This record gives sequence, C-alpha cells and structure tokens, in this order.
Amino acid sequence: MATLTRTPARSFSATLWDWLTTVDHKKIGILYTATAFITFGLSGIVAWLFRLQLAHPTGRLFTGDTFNQMITVHGAAMLFFFIIQAGLTGFGNFVVPLMLGARDVALPRINAFSYWAFLFSILLVIAGLFFGQLPEAGWTFYYPVSLSLGSAFYFSAILLLGISSLLGNANFVATIYNLRRRGMGLWRMPIYVWSVFAASILNLLSLAGLTAATLVTLLDVKLGISLFNPAMGGDPVLFQQFFWFYSHPTVYVMLLPYLGILVEVASTFAKKPVFGYRAMVYAQMGIVLLGLLVWAHHMFTVGESTIFQLAFAFFTALIAVPTGVKLFNILGTLWGGKLEMKTPLLWVLGFIFNFLIGGITGVMLSMVPLDYQFHDSYFVVAHFHNVLMAGSGFGAFAGLYYWFPKFFGRMYHERLGRLHFWFFLFGYLFTFLPQYALGFLGMPRRYFTYPTEVAGLLPLNQLSTFGATLFMIGGLIWAWNMIASLRSGPKAPANPWGGWTLEWLTASPPKPHNFDVRLPEHFESERPLFDWEQKGLELEEEDPARIHLPRSSYWPVLTATALFVFFLGLAGWSWPNPVMLVGALLTVVGLVGWALEHEYEHPEHALHETLTGKSHAFMGMIWFLTSEIGLFAILLAGYLYLRLSGHAVPPPERPELWLALVNTFFLVSSSFVLHFAAGDLKRGNRSSFMLGLLVAIVFGLVFLGVQSYEFVKAAHHMNWREQLWASAFFLVVGLHGLHVLIGATGLTLAYLQGVFRRILPQQPGTLEAASLYWHLVDGVWLVIVTLFYIW
Amino acid sequence: MKKIGYLGLAGLLLAGLAFGHNVAIVGDSLQDREVARLLKWVLAFSVVIFGGVAGTLVYAVYRFRARPGDRELPPQFRENPRLEVSLTVIPLVIVLILFVLTAQALVKINRPIAGALGVEVTARQFWWDFKIPAEGIRLSSELVVPVGRPVEAKLTSADVIHSFWAPSLGGKTDAIPGQVTYNRFMATHPGNYYGYCAELCGPSHAQMRFRVLALDPEDYRRFVEALKAYRAPEPKTPKQARGQRLFLSRCAACHTVKGTPAAGVIGPDLSILGNRVALASGVLKNTPENLIRWIRDPEAIKPGAKMPAFKGQLTDADLEALAAYLESLKLPGFDFASLPRY
Repeated sequence: MATLTRTPARSFSATLWDWLTTVDHKKIGILYTATAFITFGLSGIVAWLFRLQLAHPTGRLFTGDTFNQMITVHGAAMLFFFIIQAGLTGFGNFVVPLMLGARDVALPRINAFSYWAFLFSILLVIAGLFFGQLPEAGWTFYYPVSLSLGSAFYFSAILLLGISSLLGNANFVATIYNLRRRGMGLWRMPIYVWSVFAASILNLLSLAGLTAATLVTLLDVKLGISLFNPAMGGDPVLFQQFFWFYSHPTVYVMLLPYLGILVEVASTFAKKPVFGYRAMVYAQMGIVLLGLLVWAHHMFTVGESTIFQLAFAFFTALIAVPTGVKLFNILGTLWGGKLEMKTPLLWVLGFIFNFLIGGITGVMLSMVPLDYQFHDSYFVVAHFHNVLMAGSGFGAFAGLYYWFPKFFGRMYHERLGRLHFWFFLFGYLFTFLPQYALGFLGMPRRYFTYPTEVAGLLPLNQLSTFGATLFMIGGLIWAWNMIASLRSGPKAPANPWGGWTLEWLTASPPKPHNFDVRLPEHFESERPLFDWEQKGLELEEEDPARIHLPRSSYWPVLTATALFVFFLGLAGWSWPNPVMLVGALLTVVGLVGWALEHEYEHPEHALHETLTGKSHAFMGMIWFLTSEIGLFAILLAGYLYLRLSGHAVPPPERPELWLALVNTFFLVSSSFVLHFAAGDLKRGNRSSFMLGLLVAIVFGLVFLGVQSYEFVKAAHHMNWREQLWASAFFLVVGLHGLHVLIGATGLTLAYLQGVFRRILPQQPGTLEAASLYWHLVDGVWLVIVTLFYIW
Repeated sequence: MKKIGYLGLAGLLLAGLAFGHNVAIVGDSLQDREVARLLKWVLAFSVVIFGGVAGTLVYAVYRFRARPGDRELPPQFRENPRLEVSLTVIPLVIVLILFVLTAQALVKINRPIAGALGVEVTARQFWWDFKIPAEGIRLSSELVVPVGRPVEAKLTSADVIHSFWAPSLGGKTDAIPGQVTYNRFMATHPGNYYGYCAELCGPSHAQMRFRVLALDPEDYRRFVEALKAYRAPEPKTPKQARGQRLFLSRCAACHTVKGTPAAGVIGPDLSILGNRVALASGVLKNTPENLIRWIRDPEAIKPGAKMPAFKGQLTDADLEALAAYLESLKLPGFDFASLPRY
C-alpha cells in the first residue's frame, strides 16, 4: 500500500526499511489501519465458511474442533485485532495528533513498538497452526475447557497484545494531555479525540482483568499453578470474574472511538456543529464509569445470588441511558443540517438504525429472566453482532471512507462505496435478524449442527447464510474499491468534505511534519477551521528551523521481534525452554540499544515544551501504572476471595516472615536511595547520582536473590499443584518478582544512559519512568508482605 | 425505497420475535408467565422507541437532504437543553420501570419451591446423567418428570463447564465442576422437550443434548415403579444372547444394565435403552441401524466422544447382535416417541 501512495521512485527495500523503522504517527496509523481491516476481511471469510457449514445440519464441511477453531479465531480476530484496533490505534494514531495540531504522538518509538507487538500477537495466534492446533475454546476461553496447547498460543498472544495496547493507550493519554496546540482547552477538543481519550482510559483501567485471566490459565497449562482448578479448591467462576472485568468494559473500548468518528462524520456532512457537545462528553465518561460496573451480566447463569444478579442488572440497564444520549445527539447533529449523502454519511445513518435495534435487544438482555433464555443462544450472537458489526463496524467503515482521502491522498470510488454499504446493510439484516428468532427457538451458539425437527431452525439458518453471502459480495466490492482507488483514484484535495477539524487544514496525504503553517493559539470551539474562517484569520508559514521530528529507529521493531520470540517460547514448549530464554535476552539487548539511541537528531530537541509541564515519559508511565496496579489488585482480590471463603488455606509451614522483612528492608531502602539519586541528578551532582542508582539496582538484585532462595526452599515443603494457597503464593509473589526484575532492568538502562552521558539534569532519559515503576513495585510489595507473610 | 426497506425489515424483526415467542413459550409455569410478562412490556417499549427513533431518522434523511447547488450553511445550533434533558429522562424512566419488573420476576423465579422434585444432574463431555434420589432411579440422557410438579435440578459437572437448557421449559443454568447450581422448571404439558448444552465444552458441544420427557402424574408414577422393579429381560433369541455375552465382556466396564453384572458408571446407564427416543445423547433417532453406526465409530458421529470405536474389533454380525440385545432392554408399555415434541 505504501508504495502506491508515496515516492514511487524509491526501491522496494528502501521503502520496506522506511516502514519497518518509521516512528511517524501517520505511517504507524496506516499500518494499524491496514492490518486491522485486512484482519477483518480474512476473519469475515472464515465466518462465511462456517455459515456455509450451518446452511444444513448434516453438513460435514467443518465440524467438531475445526468448527470451534474457526469460531474462536473469527471472534478473537474481529474483537482484538479489528474492532479494538481500527477506531482506536488505527485512525487514532493517524488523526489524533493532526486534530490536536501536533507533529507526532508523545512517545513515537513506543508507538512503533506497540504496532509491531500488535502485529506479532496476530502471528502468535496463527503460529499455533504449526504446532498442530489453533485455539478452540472460543474467544472467551473459559476455564477449564481452554487448557490446551492451541489456547496457550492464544494466551501468549493476548499477553503480548496487552503490552502493546497498554503502551498505545498510555501514549494516547500522554499525547492528549501534553501535545494539544496551546489554546486548545479540553473542552475545545474534537469529539473524536475525547472518545479516544475515554477509550484509552477505560482500557488502562480494565485490561488487567484479561491479563489476570490469561496469565493464570497459561500458568495452569504450563506449570499447574492455578486459582481456578476445582480439584485443589479453586473456583472456575473466578476466571469468569477476571475475564469479564475486562471483557465487558472493552465492549465500550470497541464502541467509544466509533461514536466519536460517527459524530465527526455527521457534523461534517450535515455542515453543523456537534449537537450537545458537553452532554456527549459527559455521556462518554458516564459510559466509562458504568462500563466498569456491569461485567457480571455475562454471568447471570453461573448461579450467583439473586441480589448479586440484580445489582449488575441495574447498572446494565442504566448504561442504556448515556448510550441513548450519544445516539440522540448524533441524530440531533443531523437534524436541521444539509445532509450530503456521501458514503461516509450512509454508514452513519446505517449505524443509527442498526445500533437502535442492538440497544433495544441489549436492554432485553439486562432483564435477567429473559437473559436466562437468551444467554449463549443465537439471540446473543445476533445482539453483539448488531452492536459490534453493524454498530462499531459501520463506524469503522464511516471512518475509513471519511479519512481515506486524507490517509492516501486519493479519492475512493463513490458509487462502489455506496454499493458496499447497501450490501453490508442488507447482508447484516439477513444474517442477523433471523438469528434473534433462532435464539428464541432455542438454538445455542457455537453449534456446528442443530436438530432439524425443531421448527424454524433450518429455514432461519439458511436465511442467515444467505445474508452472509451478501456480506461476502459487499466485501469483494469494498476490496476492489480500496485497491483500485489506491492505485488510480483521483487526487484528493486537502479538504474534500469541507471538514472543520485540523486534519483538514493540511495536505492529503499530510507531509511528515503535518503542518506547514503555524497554528493560531486561538480556539473557540471544537471546529477551529470554522472559527478561524469566521474571524478571517490568516495563517502564517511556520519557520522550518522550528520543526523537529523524531528520527526513524529500528530498535522498536527489533525489540518487538525479540519479545515475539519470547512469547512464542512461552506458548510452544514446556518451561523453561531455550526459545523463551533467547527471546528474553534479545529483548534486553533491544532495550539497551533503544535506550542508548537519541530519539531526535539533536538531543535538546527532545525537550519540547509540554502543555502540562510534565514530561511525556512521566505522563505515559503514570497511566501505564494504573494498569499495573489494576493487575495486582485483581489478583489479590481473587486471592482474598479464595482465602476468606476458606478455599485457600495457608499450610502450617509457610515461607519465613523474617526473610520477607529483610527483603522489605532492601526494597524500601532502594526506593529511598533512588529518590535521593534523582535529586542529585537534578542538582547536577552526577557522580553521586550514578552511585545512588547503582546502589538501588544492587538492592533490587539482592531482593531477587533472597526471593529465589526462598522460592527454592518453599518448593520443598509446598506443592503448588495441590495446594491452592501455595499456588496463589507462587503466582502473586512470583509475578511481583518479575516486576522487580523488569524494574531493575529499567534502572539499569538508566544507569547505562548515565555511563554514556545520555542522562542530563534537564533530560532524565529512562530514569523518570523507571523510578516511577520502581516505587510502584515497592508499594505493591508492602501489600504482598501483609497479605501473604503477616496474615 | 429505503423507507420501505427499513419498515419491511423492522417488521421482519418484530414478526420474528413474535413467532419465536409463540414457539418457545409453550407452557404456563411460573417462569413461563413471568418471562411472557416481561417480554410483553419490553416489546411494547421497544416498538415505541424503535418507531420513534427510526421514524425520526427516516424523516431527517428525507427532510434535510442537501439540495444540489445550495452552498449556504444550515443554522449552526449547538444544543437544546430541554430536549436533551427529556431525551435523557425518558429512557431513564423506561429502564427503571423495566428494572423493577425484572427484579420482581427474578425474585419469584429464583425462590426455592417446597415440594419440588429433586433431580441430580451431572454433565460430562458429552452427555447428561440424571438421578432422582427420592425415587432411587438413574436415567441417562433422557430425564423423565411428572407434569405439574416443579422440578429442582441440582447441577454439577464432572469435567468442564456445561450449561443445562431446555428452551421450552425455561432458562439455562451452568453446570460447573466442583460446584452446585440449581435450575428450576415445571412442565405443564406432557411432551418430549429438547434440551441442549449451552456452554462451549469441546468438539461435540453441539451434540451434547438431552430430553426431558414429561408424563402425566399417573404415567410418571407407573414408570418410576416399573423402573424400580426393573431387571433386564433375559435374551429371547440366540442373536440377543450373543449380544448379551458381547456386552458383558466388552461394554460392562463403563455401562450399567440393571439386573446384569454390568455396573460401570463411566458411561451412560443403558438399562432401558430400548425406551429411549434418541441415541448418542439426543443426537440420533433410536433405531438399530443408528445404534450399530454409533458403536462402530462414535468419533465419526460425535468428535471427541470418550467411547472407543469398535470397528475392526467387532464384526458386522457382532454389532447386529449387540444392537439386538440393547434394543430389547425396555420397559413394556411406554412409548415416549409418540409424545409431542417441544
């Protein structure tokens, strides 16, 4: 795709190298978007194939495990690799910095790394094929049906993807806080930026649930460490609590960015400002908050108490209100406008109609006695495709057609775009409306066959397969439109739709530095171009000497590759194995290379002023840490539950308290030493800074040494395969140990930067982020000592 | 054209819901009544909301299309607080009403019922085992219950998580290893009710079905007494006798047949296989041919099934003898296949 759009004179290898090493948010945005949409296409084909199987109950095309692998890969790919990515990391990377008037994201190399880790996580899922098994336990991989090799690849992939998306989210939040054009207050940001902000925060707050669920299940597969195994007193339902704590909120991560896109498109094509801007922002934040309180509505059938179910039913019903506000306000934005019936707007109109049905059926699902009927039936399948495929998915296509000219500098083919829309709309209606009825008739989901004697199942399934075929045709039209337009679409002007947000100010496609002009610092609303035009503001050329861009770097892609090797080792063989060790080692090499490289040509150019006065690394790390806190909070909550309910009973001989207290001394001291060392650096006292840093690292290593000794000893008298408490102990304390190791690596990077004079008082390099991380690890340890050693 | 399309499809959705509603709710047990009531309310609100919003959408598209050549900007209004507040409050009121109705219904449905018939259900990959302790009987794959008496199914699983669901009798409940959950239902008409596993449990999840056979109370009593007194009939033909010998030597480690030395508990109880309406846990019609197919190669019918294949080990004559013997195992006077299917 790249070669089609820019500098065709360059050789293929030069172009490839450019894309591999790029840190340009636009290129990374294109990579994300392209990967996400290609995944959508492939995974759509998989769906069509299993719809063919379902066209008749005696079909033998794909049955048993093959069928299960197909639905698992379809679900995982659509959710994790398409719908979460396209609207957030895809369009977000490309558009958000432009909308903010920035030259790049806050942490460009981290951004590149996020993309490569994302791509490799897709490859990890597929890698299972070469080991004979794709994941087959459903994208929800419930314990214990997911204890398999194929699922191990999936867990590995999710853990890698987790790293990628946390870094990506933290990057967005830091960018939005720090890099808005001066004068653009929070309440002057375009709605899409708000929605990326909200989705990022929500992901940072909730992702820990998924990490906890995958991590513990992977440890169960590989080592027999478990919190869920009923044979040793564990609780399989706890898995679901962990899993849904993330996987419900993430539904809103899959929705919010698209709501933002739809509002932008509606506003542009109705030629009106956003209707009820503030209400929209509040509704969005309301969704973030309520979204964290509804997870157990996926678990109404696991036999929890009535009061528990009602509490979650209440919040679930309530969340319809802010979601409704968003829908009404999109309608309000259209109302009274002059609607330009172009492809992007068609997707918005389709979205409103589809999402309305999805919203109504969602309210039905919140009514618990009805949920007992609909849960895990085709009704639910219809509902979530209604909101995700015909809802968010339509939003994704609205965004794709809307920004296509900006991304690639060429116009798409309007008539093919419309045709694509109509095929998808009717494809969706024919595929999924019958599925509501199928659910009523009692057809459970994830079935490769069904009884013909039950009236209605056969014709409705065939109708649904017919609809899927319409989807396929629509998909072919879309693919053709994309390829043909990229190749030979008419050149796009800077602002083909008359949009009023900043991305339409610059050329299509934008130059590497985004803006030639110096942006005014005057913002009245979320539509700066409109306001400036009204005021008759003339924009001046920016002085090229003031434009600094980050340098390309191969370290992000190398480090991501090394990490891929590590996670491949985690999934593919029993632990420990040479592959994971080599991967871990190469990752450290990558990090060292990364840390010692200058992000900008002239190091002082990295010292851009930020809007908050805090560095990007600080902002990013603070938000990243919320997720780390979440991870420990969730695992500890699980442990507390198992302990208090009498499942996890500490053995008579426990790891020694005095040893843990010695370790506490070392860790706490290291935090203080680090703090003073950072102070020394600020005062310019380099040698005492270096000494302090070294002492902190050594203390950390002492901690790890003592802990290893303790683990070896504990393994003699505690069996984590049989005792739940021992399992929880090795899990949580071990995970903390891993964090100490990572933290010590971070400090060592800072130390190396010091050795090579990469750290200066005004330019703390890795130090700031690494010390924040270190202090957090320290704080977590105090909680662990209390809960595992003292209690 | 678009308008007609939209309205037509909306009609299709509603018709689908109404159609499903009539088919799925066949009884008038407590659950059926509560679910029907909730459905009525939510469908009423849905029609109003759907009509209102979709109508507004269609009207807006019709009314506010840009006219060609019109370069003037439309009015640039940004908000309408009164409208926005009402559009927040109205949905809020609706969901609160629905929530109150939900709470009422849920409390009623989840209340344990005195005098209910207790059934112990164990789910396994990929079949269901039922015990009625009060009667002292075990039934595999096909549960027999009396009409008009509430049933309290006490569920657990021997391996992974499954979910017990007989759509025409009520909602579903998960069967979880190491835990006990309850599913309460009552059949109000005699019938052959289809049941499914509703939680992905492995390769043959789609074929882990069961039946609930609801009999009139007197038939049920007659059935229970007959089953309690039941001893497998002696083989009547040489073929059946050969089948019995084969069964006792090859199958008895896993399967039970009352009145014979076969007392395995790993697989389903086959004491009254001849009475079953279906084989392979609700998947195949109960005929000797299907039974032979099944014994010859269970994997071909249910991938992942735990039962070994006997192709290559038993000859066709052996298989026929085995089927003849198994089909002879039945309680006389019960024809479950003639029950209406739901």
